Amino acid sequence: MTQTTSNSREGLQFFGRISASVSHEIKNVFAVINESAGLIEDFTLMADRGMPIQPDRLKSAANSIQGQVRRGDTIIKNMNAFAHSTDEAVRELDLVEALDLTVALTTRIADMKQIRLTSGDCQAVSLVTNPFDLTRLLHSSIVAALDCMQAGDTLVIGLKSVSGGASFSLSAPGKDAPLKNDESFSPLAQAMNASVTVDEDTGTSELRVLAATGSK
Amino acid sequence: MAEKVLLIDDEKEFLEALSERMTIRGMDVSTAETATNAVSALSAGDYDAIVLDLQMPDMNGIDMLKLIKKSHPDMQVILLTGQATLEAGIQAMKLGAMDFMEKPADIEALTDKIKKAQAKKMVIVEKKTEKKVNDILKTKGW
Repeated sequence: MTQTTSNSREGLQFFGRISASVSHEIKNVFAVINESAGLIEDFTLMADRGMPIQPDRLKSAANSIQGQVRRGDTIIKNMNAFAHSTDEAVRELDLVEALDLTVALTTRIADMKQIRLTSGDCQAVSLVTNPFDLTRLLHSSIVAALDCMQAGDTLVIGLKSVSGGASFSLSAPGKDAPLKNDESFSPLAQAMNASVTVDEDTGTSELRVLAATGSK
Repeated sequence: MAEKVLLIDDEKEFLEALSERMTIRGMDVSTAETATNAVSALSAGDYDAIVLDLQMPDMNGIDMLKLIKKSHPDMQVILLTGQATLEAGIQAMKLGAMDFMEKPADIEALTDKIKKAQAKKMVIVEKKTEKKVNDILKTKGW
């Protein structure tokens, strides 16, 4: 039988945290669009009073709006993909896509800590798993790693195939392994057959995830 | 007299557009993208009002507000936030913020609050000056 773990308050809280972060970011997008559009309006009011319009300033404000629309569209696409991760209890998942999505959803938290979050070397791996739980597990791992890091650091996450599942590597170039254990998310890790190991020689933490039970 | 305003926000494009709009409205605007830069700007200049984003990468807005109020108790601080919750606003007002606005903000409402901040600051300065004069008159035996 396939096991799912997020039919719980923790799962709902995670969904809420991500939704709050995304809505906050969209508010910032709207704030920039609002000021840039307002600036264009100010230029037209000034033109009405006989002041010449400077095309460069108009172009810059319009470009800003276009850039923010692209930014907002990316945020919404990611939120949509995240929302659809609850569609099925278990399915075959492209883990590179899953990692990219989780990195995108977690970047704001990293930004607030002034830590750069990036994907490193990723092998093409697919895994039969619960998409929502995997996102929560990856997000929890990244947040736990960020909590052990300092402003100015970079967190690099890689992916490779291992027997029966996949391994996500977390490292901070020039620093110790960023994730020491799964203490802050152990119930979820246990439920997903996931484990954390640390290689101090390479400064790499490894999050190993096995395919969902009952899957082939 | 032009209102002297310090805008603190980590969104570069937001800062640029809002500061330009405020400048068009006759204000003297300085900007800071980080709390660290804001602290430098605060010690370098005298402002009628500070417009502060509640979420900064190197320090949250509430801590920044505490810092400002500690070094400049009379400073008029208007908080801007992308959070649609009241809790942070209530906390900010308790800590001495003059006002609290949600992003995206209306420029006319923000301008109005800045003008009120300047007027409030002038009253405080006048009272302090009056107190100083009275203290001098009491201590000098003319």
